[in-house]
Order: sequence, then C-alpha cells, then structure tokens
Amino acid sequence: MKPKIALLYTEGINRDQESGYAFRLAGGETELVHVSELKSGAKKLANYQILFLPGGFANGDHLFSAKIWASESLAYFGDQLQAFAQDDKLIIGICNGFQCLIRTGLLPFNHLGKIEATLTHNASNSFQSRWVKLKIESSNCVFTRGLEGQIIRTPVSHGEGRFLAPEDELNKIEQEKQVVFRYVDEQENPTQIFPANPNGSTNAIAGLTSPNGKILGLMPHPECNTIWNHYPNWNEEKQRGGECLQLFKNAVTYF
Amino acid sequence: MALSQNTLFLTLEEMHTIQNYFQKIGRDPYDAELETLAQTWSEHCGHKTFKANLIIDGQEVVPLYRRLKDATKAINHPRVISCFKDNSGVFKINDQYGVCMKVETHNSPSALDPYGGAMTGTGGVLRDIVGTGKGAKVIASTDIFCLGPPDLAEEKVPEGCKHPRFILKGVIRGVADYGNQMGVPTVNGSLHFHEDFRAKPTVIVGAYGLISIDKAQKGEPESGDLVLSVGGKTGRDGVHGATFSSAEMTAETEKVNASAVQIGDPIEEKRAFDAILEMSAQNIIKAITDCGAGGFSSAVGEMGSKTGVSIDLEKAPLKYLSLDPWEIWISESQERMIIALSPENLGKAQAIFSKYNVEGTVIGTFTDDQQLRVRYNGETLCDLPMDFVHGGLAQLSLEGKTEKFKFEEPSASVLQKNNYNEALKTIMGNYNVCSKELIVRKYDHNVQGTAVQMPFAGGNHQSPNNASVLEPLPGMKQGVVIGHGLNPILNRLDPFLGSKWAILEAVANIVAQGADPENIALLDNFIYPKPDSKYLADLSRAIDACVETSKELGMPFISGKDSLSSTYRRGDKVIHIPPVLCVSAVGIIEDIEKTISSPFKKSGNKIVLIGETKPELGGSIYYDSLGYVGTQVPTIDTKLAFQIFKAIHQGIKQGIILSCQDISEGGLISSIAEMSFGELFGTKIVASVEGMKDYEWLFSESPGRFVCEVAEKDMGILKTICDSIPCILVGEINLEQRIVVELNQKSVLELNINDLKQEWQAPMKKVFG
Repeated sequence: MKPKIALLYTEGINRDQESGYAFRLAGGETELVHVSELKSGAKKLANYQILFLPGGFANGDHLFSAKIWASESLAYFGDQLQAFAQDDKLIIGICNGFQCLIRTGLLPFNHLGKIEATLTHNASNSFQSRWVKLKIESSNCVFTRGLEGQIIRTPVSHGEGRFLAPEDELNKIEQEKQVVFRYVDEQENPTQIFPANPNGSTNAIAGLTSPNGKILGLMPHPECNTIWNHYPNWNEEKQRGGECLQLFKNAVTYF
Repeated sequence: MALSQNTLFLTLEEMHTIQNYFQKIGRDPYDAELETLAQTWSEHCGHKTFKANLIIDGQEVVPLYRRLKDATKAINHPRVISCFKDNSGVFKINDQYGVCMKVETHNSPSALDPYGGAMTGTGGVLRDIVGTGKGAKVIASTDIFCLGPPDLAEEKVPEGCKHPRFILKGVIRGVADYGNQMGVPTVNGSLHFHEDFRAKPTVIVGAYGLISIDKAQKGEPESGDLVLSVGGKTGRDGVHGATFSSAEMTAETEKVNASAVQIGDPIEEKRAFDAILEMSAQNIIKAITDCGAGGFSSAVGEMGSKTGVSIDLEKAPLKYLSLDPWEIWISESQERMIIALSPENLGKAQAIFSKYNVEGTVIGTFTDDQQLRVRYNGETLCDLPMDFVHGGLAQLSLEGKTEKFKFEEPSASVLQKNNYNEALKTIMGNYNVCSKELIVRKYDHNVQGTAVQMPFAGGNHQSPNNASVLEPLPGMKQGVVIGHGLNPILNRLDPFLGSKWAILEAVANIVAQGADPENIALLDNFIYPKPDSKYLADLSRAIDACVETSKELGMPFISGKDSLSSTYRRGDKVIHIPPVLCVSAVGIIEDIEKTISSPFKKSGNKIVLIGETKPELGGSIYYDSLGYVGTQVPTIDTKLAFQIFKAIHQGIKQGIILSCQDISEGGLISSIAEMSFGELFGTKIVASVEGMKDYEWLFSESPGRFVCEVAEKDMGILKTICDSIPCILVGEINLEQRIVVELNQKSVLELNINDLKQEWQAPMKKVFG
C-alpha cells in the first residue's frame, strides 16, 4: 500500500517542497495540510498514515521557535494528534518540525501537552547553514532500521537547535536508547566542538525518537540529501549524495 | 522650499509644471495629488536621468535607457520572454517554464538603518518576482554589498553616517533574517570594500523566480475589475521612501527622513506569497504588482494607467489609526501586493485568503475614464488624468563632460621583488579577496531542496565556487546558474573598460560552473554618484560598454535598475562613491550533471591557464596592496572572450575540465590558491614568462581567463577544443600542501597552503569571530 503523508503546513513553513519530494521519491503520496484546514475540519489527520512536520519559521518563530505552531496544534486538533500518536502510525519532524514535536510534548516521551526538554539558541549564538556528519545510533526507531552504525551527511540550517533537557529526562533518553542521531567529527566520534557539532547540543544529540520508535525528530535536514546532486562535492564519484533517502523509504515500507 | 527639499524632492521646473497644470484647471492641488506626482516623478520611480536627452562632450547621444533596450532588441535572443517592462525580466528555461530575474538596490534606507534597510530591500525584490506576469515563485536570492572597510578609523566616519562595521553586520543580519524566514536560498553574493563607500553604502539584493510561460505576461485590467490589496497593513513607515532615496545624503538625512525607512515582516510576506501562488495556480490573477516605492500611489497608478482607477482609501487596512489619508496613499509599508481581479473570482480569492490567514481587501475598481481618482470616505483626495501623472513630466535635457581622474603608477622598484610570498599573503588577506564563508554560513542556501552547486565546496566546504547552480524544481534535471560581477575601482579609472570587466566577470563566473554561453541573460544595476556633468559622461560610457559587450556576446540585458544618488554632501565636504555597475548573469543549464565545482579534485592532475594575460594592473589588488591605483585598466577582445567561454563550456560538458575558476581580483595565483583550499592540495606551478614581469603574470586581472584542472590523458582533447585560444599548461596538483611557483627556472614563491588559507580566512574572523 502507498501510504499517505500529511505535510503539516502553517505560515512560515518553508521546507515543504523538499520534504514532499523526499517522500514521493521514497514511494509515498504527499499532501499539504494547512493548520487552518485541520482547525476548520476541512481535513482530518485520521486519513493519513504518516505525519510530517517540515522545517521553516512557523509564525516567524515568535515567542520561541515553533511555539505558536505547537500551541495552535494542541488547541485546534490536539485530540487528533493524540489519536495519531497512539495509533500504529509514524510522525517525523525536521528542524522547525522537531522543535514543534518537543514543544507539543510528542517528544521525547510522547506526553502530549507536557514539555520535557527544549531546543534553544545555538551555542554560537548565530544561525548556521553548513554540512554536518551524523552517526546513526542503535534504537528502535522505524526510520533508521538497518542503518544503525552508519554515517550520513546532511545540511543544517538553524539558529535554535541546541538540545537541552533536565538531568533525569536526559538520563532516561540515553538509557532507553532514544537518541537516533549524534553529530560526529572527522573520526566519527560524537563531538561538542563547533562546527562539527553546529549548535552545542548536549551529548551531541541531533535527533531523537519516542520510546516506541514511531516518532522521530531531528534538527538536520536529511530531506536535503536524497539524490546524488544534493551533496556539494558530488562531482567526485565517491562523494555523491543521496544516502538519506533510505530513512524515508523505511517509513514508506512500514505500511 | 522646505517642502520641496526635504520631502517631495521636486525640482523647481517640476514644481512649475505642476503649478501651470493646476492654474489651467482652475483649482489648488490636494496634498495627495502633490505627493502622487512627487512619487511618480521621483528619480527612483521615474528614472529621469536614464530617459533624459543627453549631450555628452558637445555631442547629442541617444538616451541611456533606450540604448540598452535597443541592444536587447538587436540581439533578439530566442529565450527572452519578457524584458524591461515588468517587475522582473523573464528568460526561457524550457517550453513550460522561465526564470525571472530582478536585482534591486536599497542604499539610502540601509545607510540610516542597515538591518531594516537590508530586510525590506530583500522583501521588496522578492515581491518583484511574485509581482511578475500573473505570479511567479521565488527560487533564489543574492546579495552584494559595497562598504567602507570594517576597520575604518572612527574619526573618518562622516557626520550623520554609521560606521561600516555596523552597516556590514546589520545588512547581513537583515538579508539573513528575511531570506531565511521566507525559505528562499541565498546562493550568491559578494562584498567590496573601499573608503569612499563610508558615507553611503551600496546595498544590492537580487531575486530569481520560476514562472510558467503561460503566466509570464500581465493581463489588462478591464473597467469594473477590482483593485485588491493583499498582505500587510498600511502604517506610517516608509512615507517618502521613494523621494528621499532619490536625493543626495547629508548629515541631516537621518534626523529628517528616518520615518522613510520601512519595517519588514517576512512571515507576513510568506503567507501572502502562499496565497498568491495558489491564486495564480487557479488562474484568477489578471495582473499583479507589488507596492514598493510610492506605495499604493505608484502600484495602483501604474496598473490603472491605461484604464483609469477609482480608489476608496478608507477601505485599506491600517496598522493603527491616526494616519492622514495622503499618508495611507503613499506609505511604503511592506508586504503589500496589488492584484487586478474579475469580480466573479472574488469568492475564490476570499476562500484562499481565509485558508492562508491572509488579508485581502478590495480598495477600488478599474474604470474606463483614464482618471486617477482617490477618495477617503467620499471626500476627494486625488483626481488627476493618468496622462498627466505618467506623461506630464517633461523629458529632461542633461549635459555631461568627460573628466578623468589621475592616479599614480607605482615605480618598478616597488613592484618587482625576488620573492612574492608576502605579496600573496597580503593579497589573500585583502578585504576584497578574503574568504566570506562566515557570512555565507548565516544564509540558508539549501532550502527548497534545489541545490546543485553551492557557494562553497571541497572536502572541508571552504573552497569557493564562482556561481551557484540550482535545479528550480527537484527532479527537473535542467538548471539555472546564477552569478554576478562588479569592480567599482576600475569604473573610477575607466568607466568603459571597468564596465566591460564587470560584464565579462559576471559571465565568466557562471561559465566556470558550466553555463552555456549561448543561453545567458544579463541584468544591470547602476549605482552612481549624483550624475552631475562628469558622472553623467561616465554613465554614458558605461552604457556604451554594456551595449557593445552584450551585442558581441549575444547576451541580452533583460532588466535593470539605476540608483543615481550615492553622493554625500556636508558643507564643502563631498564624497562620491566609486561608481558601481553590478552585472548579474543567469544561465540555462540543459543537464545539471554537466556542471562542476571549483576546488581541485585529484593529485596528479594538470593545471591549465586558458585565456590571454596582459600586463595591465591598474586598479588591481596587487597595486592596492602596495598603496597604488595605477592607470591601465585590463582590456580584452570580447570576441576572443566569447570563444574562450565556448571552449570552457565544451570542456566541462565533455567531462575534460574537472574543476574551474575564473581569474579576477588577486589574479591567477590567488585563483589557484582558492582552488587548493578545499582539500589543502599542494601545487607546483612552472612557467616561462615572456613579454611581462613576474608580478604581472602572477597578479594581472585580465578578464576572460580561467584556471582549469585536467587529467593528463585529456590534455590533447583540451588543446583540440581550445584550438587557437591561448591555453597553456602551468602546473600540477600534488599532496604536499605547498604552493610552489617557478618562473623562468627561478623560484619566486613558496608557501604552506594551510598557512595561506589562514591568512585568507582571518579578516572576516576578526569581524564576525
């Protein structure tokens, strides 16, 4: 079956084109779903198998990044989100989408409405657009099945990507193996050093999954490395890009 | 006169024209009428100098704008879909799509408020793209700044002006905050520093778009069609923006004209664009334009110029109360678009506005009486015939006289050295050559998923490309390549050759990544001092260069913009900027796989110099580093340049040229260094130099030259492609991390490439670190 992917859209979301393209390349069927259409009832999340929260600057990231987006989602269709997250369905949030998943409480622990961690201003205190390397950790995340231990290359483009959590929550995340991606250096070791770790995230955390492995959030942009010409040095045969497409394929073949 | 000088900026002759008109019709003008005429007739909107009758050195010459348009007409390029008539030029990609191109300046606002000026400059040029034809999608933006040096001594900052370092940081933050939030990749740009930009910076922002060919032409509004204002509300910000930016800057500009700077809100613009693109897809837009300079008065006045229009201004949504009606009429509040809509499509439009949470308000209707009529709660504010608004201004007659600046040529003992290590280090650390990576990292350049070749490449992503290649729609396979060129200092020496250099530089930049010289369109931005006699003559020579070069290359100018007010005046103190011609170039790429990045790829490969090096170093970085300007600006035979561009294109297409950089500021050796930085390769350069000095060979900035990497086995094929074009083997790539140069069997330069890279990166680290 070809799963239907809802690209959750609101004013300021701007990574919809590449997000949709990645899932279509992977064999999915995508549709833009505006927050206003869920609010008005014109569309229902129940009609989709995968919910994708793309990157951007939702509502200008006023107050905090993704704060208004998350609050509106909880207020207008929190019940639908709750049902979606409890069903055997997948949710992925990238960049601004990851910030939204954290601010709705869907990550780290799938406690809707409860904020248990944060993504805040980069340690460098400036927006960073650059390529980084990520190591895929062992976890039960559906999106990275079969990819554990591999290194993937992705661009980051964010000003607020530094993951912070209280000690208990952080320990729980690590113990339950919820960390899916970590920023690594040239030797492929997790690092706190800029620019390999572009934002100073605790434990070099770039992405997380929920305890059941069905919700994934990450700051870097795997949707921008799904074909050969996405990696800047593709002119060299060995450096062609596209390795991140498998994340989306894993999600599509789950259904 | 205070009114004329500080807000309307009309000339005495223009005031008389207005006086005569109102005496003839037997009434006094309303405030809004005066304001409408001042906006429409401002240099900013009316381009009076570009349209003026000219006498240069006693000879009558064709007006500037007409010369440019005639050249484009003569070239008759089959890909030109729309030129010089819409908010952007349109150049065909394939049968379905075209690329839109527009580059704007926002110098005056950025001088007062760099962050706000750059933000709204970006917002404005993005609206130019969306306001093309019946709506287009923005796919890229560019930014080019000319500023005083960041380490300028405080006491050198003129009264009423900001320090260049403050301006630099502000404009970069402005472009980044607007472009990033809009989801538009900022893919190309450059920085140029010179002390004479310390009073008034040059702030250039460009935008590129994707448009359906069937939506590339505007429709004509008909009587009864609605005037729809979409997007932001109107406030007092930007009142008199068009008129103040047409004037010279003085020490008082900031105090008197601060409210002329607009305030930007990217998310307002983003959601408005979302709604407009959906309206465009549903085919309900008849015509669209943006509210830029002059606000409603200009946008509505232009769109209704053939039919007439009647506006009820009280319907315009306001940011706050207490605005005078004439302020509403001319405010340049941002993020507003004007659309002509058939009344039967109003319901469809409203459904789209409601989905995207966008304000769309009918503020009037198009008529058939050719009058510009504006009322506020029934009271008349403006009732002028369109032909007076748009045709009442008499064509100016201006005279120019050539005057040349004289600069000194350095002596042989200053120039010739035994060893050029220090010279190269100084050149790589020159503000005009050094790495701008730290700035590029603040701009999102891969959003939209269209990146093919981006500003930086190489193993460490720190070696610069010459231009950027995008695949406007993922999976399209065809691409567009975007680049630009400018060199203000050369223009000061010789406006003709300097302008030619800028054009060749823009083209060379995109050819180096894979552009086909047969499929290139150009765009001009003239940023000149107030065109008194000398600068008018210079401008005319610069236009000659554009006309001649574009014809010889077969590359048409399809859009452009002039901004002729970059003079600062206080008492006796006058600062003229070095005149800027910024040429932007866009190329159509048939197959994105046939593009290359600039950094060197493989040890053992050969380094080849293609093109003709001439001993002409006037205005070069080498001279600058010695404290001289010099005299002879680089010359080039444009026909030879075109042959070279074709050869480079063939070499890239056939996979023979593996990496390529055009040679510009800093000369051959700085290009080789930049190509080495990506993987920290070493290079051994060996050449015999005849007919010129070592330093001329190393640092000449002759345009139309390229450094190419070629595998040894392919050297024969490259020679065949180049045929009679100068093409010489100059060295080899190695793994030794040293750049070594031997000329005529004598070692003249040897440096560790990583040390050189540090020198190259140091200046911007100091500013942004």
